[in-house]
Amino acid sequence: MLLRNQGLKVVMGPFNVRIQTRYKPLAVQLYSLYKHYRLVQDEICEFHVCIVAERSFKNPLKKSVRFLIDGQSPFESFPEEQALAVLEWGINLAIAVRVNHLLLLHAAVVEKNNHVILFPAWPGSGKTTLCTYLIHRGFRLFSDEFGLMDPARGVFYPMPRLMPLKNQSIQIIRNYLPEAVIGQSIPNTHKGTVAHVCPPENSICSAERTAKARWIFFLRWNEKAETNIQPISDAEAFMLLASNAFNYEVLGATGFKAVAQLISDCNCYKLIYSDLEDVTSTLQNMVNEV
Amino acid sequence: MKSKHSHHQILLQALVDPKCLIDYPDSDWELLIRMARRVKLLGRIALLLKSHNLWEEIPPRIANQLTSALVQADRLRQLTLWELDRVLWALDDFKTSIIVLKGAAYGLINLPFSEGRLSVDLDLMVPQSDLADIESVLMTKGWKHRPLSFYDEHYYRVWSHEIPPLIHAERETEVDIHHTLAPVTSRLKIDSGLLFADAIPVHYENVVVLSPTDMTLHCAVNLFQNNELDNDLRDLLDLHDLMVFFSHQDADFWKSLTDRANQLKLGHVLYYGLYFSQLIFKTPVPDGTINRLINKPGYIRRGIMYRLVPLALFPQHPDKPIRSAAWAKTILYLRSHLIRMPLYILVPHLMYKSMRTLLAKIKLLRR
Repeated sequence: MLLRNQGLKVVMGPFNVRIQTRYKPLAVQLYSLYKHYRLVQDEICEFHVCIVAERSFKNPLKKSVRFLIDGQSPFESFPEEQALAVLEWGINLAIAVRVNHLLLLHAAVVEKNNHVILFPAWPGSGKTTLCTYLIHRGFRLFSDEFGLMDPARGVFYPMPRLMPLKNQSIQIIRNYLPEAVIGQSIPNTHKGTVAHVCPPENSICSAERTAKARWIFFLRWNEKAETNIQPISDAEAFMLLASNAFNYEVLGATGFKAVAQLISDCNCYKLIYSDLEDVTSTLQNMVNEV
Repeated sequence: MKSKHSHHQILLQALVDPKCLIDYPDSDWELLIRMARRVKLLGRIALLLKSHNLWEEIPPRIANQLTSALVQADRLRQLTLWELDRVLWALDDFKTSIIVLKGAAYGLINLPFSEGRLSVDLDLMVPQSDLADIESVLMTKGWKHRPLSFYDEHYYRVWSHEIPPLIHAERETEVDIHHTLAPVTSRLKIDSGLLFADAIPVHYENVVVLSPTDMTLHCAVNLFQNNELDNDLRDLLDLHDLMVFFSHQDADFWKSLTDRANQLKLGHVLYYGLYFSQLIFKTPVPDGTINRLINKPGYIRRGIMYRLVPLALFPQHPDKPIRSAAWAKTILYLRSHLIRMPLYILVPHLMYKSMRTLLAKIKLLRR
């Protein structure tokens, strides 16, 4: 009911997002996938989003959905089946466009033993798939998309959100992790078929615990390869990380100093892998040695 | 100004009396941020809080959003200044002076609060006789026009006061080059020779800004003729800032302003500017200033504007938009077009624009 009227204020890491929709099928999905998320009552929300269902005049029998932020519609409408994907995508876009008090790296981020590991986004890296696997094997999810770094304190903020698995990854995760909570498969989105994984409850519940980064892995998934880790130079790591961030340039000198500090604090590697289990045990051993 | 709408009050009080912000409950803060973002005034509110030493007292979630806005404004200002630097480099051989307009000019004269202002484009004015040469030099040095339809090309070249926007291939900042301040078809005929004659040099070589009176009048012209709707409250605040700033520097400013408005036949434009700036932002306009203007608008016109402008200036409540405000915006949009173009051009122009929107929609549906 609340979702329908004033909207639900959902805590997503450092942000509160007010989600409102009268579109029933989406409400049903949200109640199951968001059930572990903390809700707030009177706190300030940074983002006010809404999914409205409407009928297009091209096909009056078919509904489409539109994403609104602060009552404004930043993009066209989508077929109704894509409502959840559009909502998640819209929230990500709003974060990427509006947030500049933090450095926003484009990376999957997990934590173990109080050490953060970054997996910068790279086409074909399979970061979401690996990240999903790791967080069901003892790692804590920070984010599969945003490395939220406080430039002044050098710490990362967790923002555990639903993770969109794409295409073949959906079946791989269903096979490897039968316990994972996965939403309906949504076919024909602009990124192919998408299904959202709900983060494990402990990741969501400890979303206030920040940590510093210790390792950066630039991933490459290669079907036949053995797990292979090669160190890379700080200069190369810097360029790869900075050129792929959401707001590195907007932050100017602050962004430069933050990335420089991050690179000097971290060990940076290229990681080629094919076997999720093998790479996970490699990473677990590495974390446990510290 | 008393307003019927409490969300207007939340925004307005923050702008005119920032001290009251410390009493805002969280729900008002939240609404304020949403509306200020809409009218591009987040940076302004951040700077007001800092200048009143209130920054430490605001909720952290609000401080983060305001900081984000300041960082963005900073970046855009840097990009605009860099674009100006590059244009000057490209036009090194030209001896004519180039007038920097709007946001970039406010930065160059150190107008208070200009560092929090979001300005996306670089607006310049050059003498019409040099326009073609300057455009071709810029185009050989990497600037390009966006692809334009035949109609748009005609619109800019024949009727407008600026050429189609130029964008450098490697950057994003749009450069708008004007040759006068109002469209060629407009009822306002501003002699740009007079503007160049009074322009004032700033620290770059060849770079000038409009004189204080002309800069103020340009701001008023923009506000009530070149209607951009969403930026209107910000533009009115610019006008207020300029008048406060210049009248502190020069005791005769108000007299010079009305004289210049009369000389350039912009009396009615300045009339509305003074009236609404005083009404909404309490600009300290001395008594008798408005009476010195010749060709003030008539009673009926004034009455209509008094009702429409405040409704259209303020942003809608983001969750509860009302229809009368949307209508007021539409009427003012049509009004600004009527002033910019005679009817025989305007009617086909608006028809063309709506046809094009319709065709684009149909095309989208066919995909």
